[in-house]
Amino acid sequence: MQQVSQRRPNRAAAFLTSRKVVPYVFVAPFVIYFLLIYLYPTVSTVMMSFQRIDGPTTSEWIGLKNYQKLFSRNFIQALETSTRYAIWDVIVLTIVPLLFAVLLHSGLVKGSAFFKSLFFIPALTSIIVAGIVFRLAFGTQDTAPVNVLMTALGGQPRQWLMFADSGNFVLIVMTLWRWMGVNIIYYLSGIQAIPNDLYEAAEIDGANPIQKFFKVTLPGIRPVLIYVITITVLGGFAMFTESVALWQQSNPGGIGRTIVGYLYQVGITKANMGMASAVGLTLLALVLVVNLIQLVLMGFFRKEDA
Amino acid sequence: MKKLLAVLLTLALMLGMCSALAEEEPIKLTLWTFQELHTQLYKEMEASWNANPDNPKIEIDMQVYPYDDMHSKLTLALQSGEGAPDIVDIEINQFANYLKGDIQLADINDIVEPIKDKLVMSRFNNYAKDGKYYGIDHHIGATIMFYNTEILEAAGINYQDIKTWDDYHEAGKVVLEKTGKPMCTWESADCWSIYPLVNQHGGDWLTPEGEVRMDEPVVVNTLAFMKSMLDDGTAVACPGGNHHSEEYYGAMGSGAFASVSMPFWYLNRFTDYMPDLSGKMKVAPMPLWPDGGHKSAQMGGTGTAVVKTSANVDIAKQWLAYATLSFEGCVKTWTILGFDPIMTEVYGAPEMKEPNKFFDYYGDDIFDMLKTVLDDIPDTCISEYFPTASDIVKSQMAYDLVIGGGDPETIAKNCAQELRDAIE
Amino acid sequence: MKMRKHINKRKATLSFLATALMIIWACVAMLPFVFMFCSSLKPGEEMLRKGLSLSIEPGVSSFSNYNALNTYRDGIYWQWYKSSVIIMVLQTVIGLFFGSMVGYGLAMYNFKGRNLIFTLVLVVMMIPFEILLLPLYRMLIRAKLVDNYFGVILPYLVPPFMIFFFRQYVLGLPKELLEAGRIDGCTDYGVFFRIMVPIMIPAFGAMTILSGMNSWNNLLWPMIVLSTNEKFTIPIGMGTTITPYGNAYDVLMPGAVMAVVPIIIIYLCAQKTFIAGLTAGSVKG
Repeated sequence: MQQVSQRRPNRAAAFLTSRKVVPYVFVAPFVIYFLLIYLYPTVSTVMMSFQRIDGPTTSEWIGLKNYQKLFSRNFIQALETSTRYAIWDVIVLTIVPLLFAVLLHSGLVKGSAFFKSLFFIPALTSIIVAGIVFRLAFGTQDTAPVNVLMTALGGQPRQWLMFADSGNFVLIVMTLWRWMGVNIIYYLSGIQAIPNDLYEAAEIDGANPIQKFFKVTLPGIRPVLIYVITITVLGGFAMFTESVALWQQSNPGGIGRTIVGYLYQVGITKANMGMASAVGLTLLALVLVVNLIQLVLMGFFRKEDA
Repeated sequence: MKKLLAVLLTLALMLGMCSALAEEEPIKLTLWTFQELHTQLYKEMEASWNANPDNPKIEIDMQVYPYDDMHSKLTLALQSGEGAPDIVDIEINQFANYLKGDIQLADINDIVEPIKDKLVMSRFNNYAKDGKYYGIDHHIGATIMFYNTEILEAAGINYQDIKTWDDYHEAGKVVLEKTGKPMCTWESADCWSIYPLVNQHGGDWLTPEGEVRMDEPVVVNTLAFMKSMLDDGTAVACPGGNHHSEEYYGAMGSGAFASVSMPFWYLNRFTDYMPDLSGKMKVAPMPLWPDGGHKSAQMGGTGTAVVKTSANVDIAKQWLAYATLSFEGCVKTWTILGFDPIMTEVYGAPEMKEPNKFFDYYGDDIFDMLKTVLDDIPDTCISEYFPTASDIVKSQMAYDLVIGGGDPETIAKNCAQELRDAIE
Repeated sequence: MKMRKHINKRKATLSFLATALMIIWACVAMLPFVFMFCSSLKPGEEMLRKGLSLSIEPGVSSFSNYNALNTYRDGIYWQWYKSSVIIMVLQTVIGLFFGSMVGYGLAMYNFKGRNLIFTLVLVVMMIPFEILLLPLYRMLIRAKLVDNYFGVILPYLVPPFMIFFFRQYVLGLPKELLEAGRIDGCTDYGVFFRIMVPIMIPAFGAMTILSGMNSWNNLLWPMIVLSTNEKFTIPIGMGTTITPYGNAYDVLMPGAVMAVVPIIIIYLCAQKTFIAGLTAGSVKG
């Protein structure tokens, strides 16, 4: 008896530490979590997208009808809004924070630790209040702060939040304001992991700072860069909170409605869960495809360890 | 003897149990709202209900949620058949969403019908389907005019002389010429300018049967009138897009515009957000349309409903009737919430005349003015597709008219088409 | 000699420009916060009167609004605060533990099914959360986790974005460390906890910040799970002051300021640890 009870943990321990099993133990939490928490809702969502749901007890299979009715004017407009936003979001939020991160790491900036903390504050600020601030700053009147600035610089005052393009501009400014610090931290974590001897070797080869950036820094942070771009593409298409904070209840010309906003309106407000599931799955497909293209372009699948 | 004793004992026991039952815990009800203010009324009405020994004791667990999310939470709870409260405040623009398919709200005809004559019934039709009432509103929401008398006087105009919308427009021209200030603002991203005017004019977005009315001549004419004011500058686009934006409060509060038409509940926006205009603002009935229509339009609101799956539907209904449909409750609707109560007989009550911040701000004649319009307020048709119609008005009609400067007939046609497409 | 002087001068100019750029952005970043703070000292109508004003006026400005946080609905604000902190700490600690583990496993080992699992991670990450609400809510009810903090963190126990980030981060680390650790007699778990985790500290820093921030600002799901007002988090509570019929600016502004200040203080304190960690991380270089 005693022997067995002594042996068992050993055998279990031996099993758990065997080279074949170890990787699975590491990834087990995700697998369990996926099976327990995400599998049912995901399957259920796919099923709902082929159903009409009226109340807790009534649901009816309607085949592809939800998908056929998908491309309404509102959906297409929301798709345009989200796509326009996502494109600018990726361009601005990948490049600008990278520049800042490199500068902060270069030693050129005095008090870089101070700035790092400061840039991070917007991420903690209530988005509702940020919405009020940006709404007032980009107000419709000629006396609104940004319009005053525009006039002083010799430009024309605008009704910023009333048109799709300028509204998108304000959203991008707000997103940059909010996420800059976070993206800087991502990049810095990547830059800091680059071994110093790589830079030293480049210096010996006579590389100037710009060459060093392209030859050492950029390849060095490629995994992190891929992460940032993927997350930003996703964040761009799934944006919802920022536009709600900015426009609140009003929605001039429908320009404040993003795909997720539309999904929310259809599914939750109008209780049409079937249609909302179809919208959501379409969005998922879109984000997957865009990210796939992006990952191929970034050479994600070229080497095993991208 | 023994038998008698046994009987007596049993009786005593039963009596004891009865009294124990009577002493039992209060009935627990859950109430959801998105307006913290409403809980002040509910709490008072809960206390006075429990003060009456004839009533079964109740204990209401009141939870305040953010506006949008409360409705999401309610939808999820009703869709999954669990987790819903007993009583819930549902905003008027959202209400129709809960009257679809298998209705999860309890009908309240038994508490409304006996006192029908005392109530402004058009308010109940907003929350009704197939002859059954599902929600009780706190107020009428009669649309009225708010005039900045300081500006009008500077232009030599007495607001009481404005009887029709044409008078209003003419007065606007004088105001613009003399003071350089627009007469009013039209919302470009919401429905509080267009809908009351259309409704007062005799129009609506839908018929009760669900037919689209958005491109009827009355809508086109109303839009044309609004556009004519935009064209000569007597009306301008509302700063911030709607009359609830911080930018508008700031501009209106600093005396940038001479007037605004909003529902009665807008009274406290002025008192709370535009204190500088105290004593300068006057309320008045809406101007009339020369070609017919009504004296006012009922706008906005919150329908308080009882959820069908509640374990205590009856007691919830009784308390709700007491809180919102009793004389006492309706008086408190004014004194606590500052709304125009749905029971017409309370308007003469002395309690309604007690001084408060509204009388200080606007003068004493608020209700004398309001009483003149109460007899002619049209129904609004809040049917299944109302939320969709409302959304089209907010995001398309108002925008195309005020920002896009489009032709009223084309706008009405496009929007109507949009609505028809959505219904299909 | 001349040359070096020239380089130094150029470096000084660059340094000046870079610092100037940082200062400009710092001003932009702080502007809404400063506005929030100035407004929180004034009555709500004052903010509407002046618009975007960055002034503190003697006589008008006072901390009395902050007292409103203590009195507003019997000081419920501080209970929201407590909830937010509890949820943030739980969610971040659990998420970091599992996220780093799975991400490390996916990056360090080559095993059958690895790509499938990683693809699943990416797909789960990209599913719009809003469409999962109804089925998740149904599960929640069945698990009796409604109005429970654990229900709030349930969908975030093993966060896919963390797995993704840690995986990407570990890819950049030398794999020889694992072999070296094994030769020293460590089990693979020992290698992870004793050797790798300290090296991964910059990644932990980034993820702590992101997870904390996500949790602190999360509105939709906590709102669906929590029913009792006292259990609400700050964003939900603040959300109740915003309605289509008017906003309670008097509570909103000081509430928003109070929601940030302590976090900044904690962050500034923790930053020292992070910086220490950052240097530790670069030792291997």
